[in-house]
Amino acid sequence: MRRAGFFLGALIIIAALPWLISTPYWRGILVLCAMNVLLALSLNLVMGYTGQLNLGQSAFYAIGAYVSTILIKTYHWNFWLAGLAAIVAAGFLGLALAAFAARLRGHYLAIASLGFAVITYQVLVNWESVTEGVRGIYGISSPVRGTVPLFYLVAGIALVVYALMDNLVRSPVGDTLRAIREDEVSAASLGVNGAIWKAFAFGVCAAIAGLAGCFYPGFVGTLVPDAFNIVESFTMLAMVIVGGIGTMIGPVIGAVVLTFLPELLRGFGELRLMIYGVALTLVVLFLPGGIASCFKRRA
Amino acid sequence: MLQATGLSKSFGGVRAVRNVSLAVPEKSIFALIGPNGAGKSTLLNLLSGIYQPDAGDLAFDGRDLIGMPAYQRVRLGVARTFQKIRLFKQLTLIENVRAGFHVHEDTPFWQYLVRGSTGRFDAEARELLEFVGLGARAHQRAGALPYGQQRMLEVARALATRPRLFMLDEPAAGLNAAEVEFLLERLAEIARRGVTLLVVEHNMDLVMNVAQRVFVMDHGEPLFEGTPREVQAHPAVVSAYLGGEFAA
Repeated sequence: MRRAGFFLGALIIIAALPWLISTPYWRGILVLCAMNVLLALSLNLVMGYTGQLNLGQSAFYAIGAYVSTILIKTYHWNFWLAGLAAIVAAGFLGLALAAFAARLRGHYLAIASLGFAVITYQVLVNWESVTEGVRGIYGISSPVRGTVPLFYLVAGIALVVYALMDNLVRSPVGDTLRAIREDEVSAASLGVNGAIWKAFAFGVCAAIAGLAGCFYPGFVGTLVPDAFNIVESFTMLAMVIVGGIGTMIGPVIGAVVLTFLPELLRGFGELRLMIYGVALTLVVLFLPGGIASCFKRRA
Repeated sequence: MLQATGLSKSFGGVRAVRNVSLAVPEKSIFALIGPNGAGKSTLLNLLSGIYQPDAGDLAFDGRDLIGMPAYQRVRLGVARTFQKIRLFKQLTLIENVRAGFHVHEDTPFWQYLVRGSTGRFDAEARELLEFVGLGARAHQRAGALPYGQQRMLEVARALATRPRLFMLDEPAAGLNAAEVEFLLERLAEIARRGVTLLVVEHNMDLVMNVAQRVFVMDHGEPLFEGTPREVQAHPAVVSAYLGGEFAA
């Protein structure tokens, strides 16, 4: 019943947010925030629960955005069908990265996944006949009219993803993923096929990032490779860590804080990035378990 | 039950296990002893599938194990513990044990998207924790347990896979006398329930009192195999353990 209360509360907050925040600019930030929640939630499945460092998240996000947009603009697919194709494409790329994860650990996997993000970015820049390169794709329409409906759509999807993932990590599958995170050899001694479950986590993570990516182009209206610079992977990583890695609510908190904080700091001009950096450092130094750990201790 | 023929494994120039053949009979307690560096742990890693041998044959219940990864051997009923304890330290005791049950699980993952539940394993996991004397600590973090209890938790976790052959790598290492006694009593109980035990051990009390067969290794090679009494009386074994000058 506590869970039902939690989801009801989340639903009410989502419903109320666009009315509390009424300027078009900040409503736009809300949509971005909902996408970031999806990205952080999915990254946390790989990093927080399965214990695999993944710096390739921006690539999966990009695949979702580009595959759906190209299918819609060039091949005139319907948005939902294109979105589905984009999710599948991103998911398969996640499985491809998982093939590396089966053999690489720790820092080596981090570098391989980073390389994967760099390659994806370079392909987007250079494969001009398909992606338009740095010129970008223009005039992309949103699947729903207006910022508020788009926010409701993305936030609603994020809530559903949260609920499904919350069930998953409390199930035997969650036990298995955590066992791999803690000690893969030990997990194998209990009959856990590490390679398969890592592939599962990477695949799901990538597919959800691809799902988030489907909504980005319609929201901005244009699509350029720079939106998926590898720096974005680190921002998503920061969301997971600042919010609280390995907890369900942590990445949500992290995504909200790291989406709004830079915007709130715009008034500080040049000082903005410095304050942002110091704030991140302080959180990691004094709250190693992330912001979510403050709530846990009281509970 | 477990049949190894001519197993060998080298690491670079080090021939850790050389031409070892052994047969573990069903429903027995089989001890594997030898001085430090004799290759006991490497042999156990070969038997459990952590390593694959360079040469030799290995069969469990007539099934060929060569090339079969560790996680698949568990499904045939081969479980193990580790010499250097490898618990899931950040997880609770019950989560540790529960992870061992999932090998029996064939529910596809999407069913858990709608209803996340580990409930049906909790009761069994708790039973196993009671069995190793840790029932009261089910929700503590495994890493916070005292050393001796961490060993017992590893036993419980491996038992969760419902093994028919249970291999323990120095289960008594670092335990005090009372803990060793409790361990011995539990191992005897596990054996009574029909599980075959293969124990790598330094603790001679354990070996001599509970084992039916003892296999002695030295320098990666088999030295002697026999009953505990025969092993105690064997000059080569005494010499390997106590140094050449004590040999009869």
